[in-house]
Amino acid sequence: MSDAAHLSEAARLRRRRAPLVGLGIVALFAGLWGGLIRLGLQLPDDLTAASVQHGPLMALGFLGTLISLERAVATGRRWAYAAPLAAAIGALATVTRAPIALGPALVTFGGLVLLAAHVDLQHRQPSSHNAVMGLGAVAWCAAGADWLAGADAAGFAPLLAGFLVLTIVGERLELTRAARRSRLVRMLLEAAIAVFCVGLGISLANERLGVHVAGVGLAAQALWLARYDIARHTVRIAGVTRYMAVALLTGYVWLLCAGVLWAVSAPLYFGPAYDASLHAVFLGFVMSMVFAHAPVIVPAVLRVPLPYSRGFYAQLVLLHVSLAVRLIGGDLLDDDVLWRWGGIANETAILLFLFATAFAVGHARRQTRCADRRRAGAASSARVELPIGGIDPGPR
Amino acid sequence: MLGLLTESLSVELVCRLLRTVIDPELGVNIVDLGLVYAIVIDDDAGTVALEMTLTTPGCPLSGFLDDQIRGCLAQLPQVREVAITLVWDPPWDPEAMSDDARRALGWG
Repeated sequence: MSDAAHLSEAARLRRRRAPLVGLGIVALFAGLWGGLIRLGLQLPDDLTAASVQHGPLMALGFLGTLISLERAVATGRRWAYAAPLAAAIGALATVTRAPIALGPALVTFGGLVLLAAHVDLQHRQPSSHNAVMGLGAVAWCAAGADWLAGADAAGFAPLLAGFLVLTIVGERLELTRAARRSRLVRMLLEAAIAVFCVGLGISLANERLGVHVAGVGLAAQALWLARYDIARHTVRIAGVTRYMAVALLTGYVWLLCAGVLWAVSAPLYFGPAYDASLHAVFLGFVMSMVFAHAPVIVPAVLRVPLPYSRGFYAQLVLLHVSLAVRLIGGDLLDDDVLWRWGGIANETAILLFLFATAFAVGHARRQTRCADRRRAGAASSARVELPIGGIDPGPR
Repeated sequence: MLGLLTESLSVELVCRLLRTVIDPELGVNIVDLGLVYAIVIDDDAGTVALEMTLTTPGCPLSGFLDDQIRGCLAQLPQVREVAITLVWDPPWDPEAMSDDARRALGWG
């Protein structure tokens, strides 16, 4: 393929995928708005449904859209794009005047399409890591079915966590092959995943018992990842690789906290322990992974450059410090002011991440266009010395 | 660098450039990771054909690496066209990594 044909193909893919990312971000904004209402801020009540549906909007509307889009890109199947489309539109339907079952039905359909994408990948090349991610899609479908049956979001929150945790752990299992772990070590993780899945299954019938059991599996996965994940080695490699490893390793600390909370007290429905048990997973673990992978996933999905900058650490530090304020100061020490301000700063970290990412992409695209113009002008007159390309690992 | 521009197109030259394409998460280049299976060069036509894989079919980085590879090979005025084919058979095997990559990723 010539350069011109390649650029035109990349632009076509960007035009197809960008609206899906945009819909996911709208779902994120709706979820963040709902989060602020939950934190007790006096906001216009036009979107009170966003407060009720805060969890599904964040976990399925935003993250489900992005994860299923990522998988659609990987499979290269046109039908797989139905998953992010259905997830985003379905999640947004729940905060509009659409029929009450429409949103959950569309979101559940999105989960089924994601599951089909994993089955397709398993046919292409069978692997345990893809099977684990497929189990994550099953958890999404189960959460969606529960939602469709009229359950309150708190009732299927463990399944939402299950979808995200299994997806991420599957990805880590895949990458950790490059670190050569023994069969026994890999079996330890598979055992932890099995306990977690059994717990999620039990939670469908007996939520408290299920969360206790799933918590044991969650804590065991966190310990395994903290000890054996390849990030333990890549954290020594400067630049974007270290940034990603730091975000991963700090996420494992929060995953362990969540696992211990789930296993010991299995908090359900409301209260400080419930707030801590969910946000340690969704913000501390999952959002940290999102921050970590943006420098790779944004260019992969949108075909735009996203150069790493040391400034990315700002959003990461803000996320983890504000979460500590919220969970330790607010939930553990029962300080309402710290809980509220910690929560607001959590959302600020996410907005800072979006802004920093958009700014870096915009800046890099402007630079690329200028370089292309200079190269075109120079090529017509003389041969020029060009820098060697490849990925710039960025500032050390 | 001027040497790169005047050097005749060869597998060694392409390999040297591909070593600047790094998997950001692992911090190791795609050649040392063992992702590049074959490089076929037609010097007269100025074409480079790569056969490569990813660590798993579920990895969404094909387009990202495609962009990076074309970006680095575009520096060679001898290259007029690049063809990249993704293959899944044989699957990527960590044993295919170079000694440098193994050391970087903590193999004992």
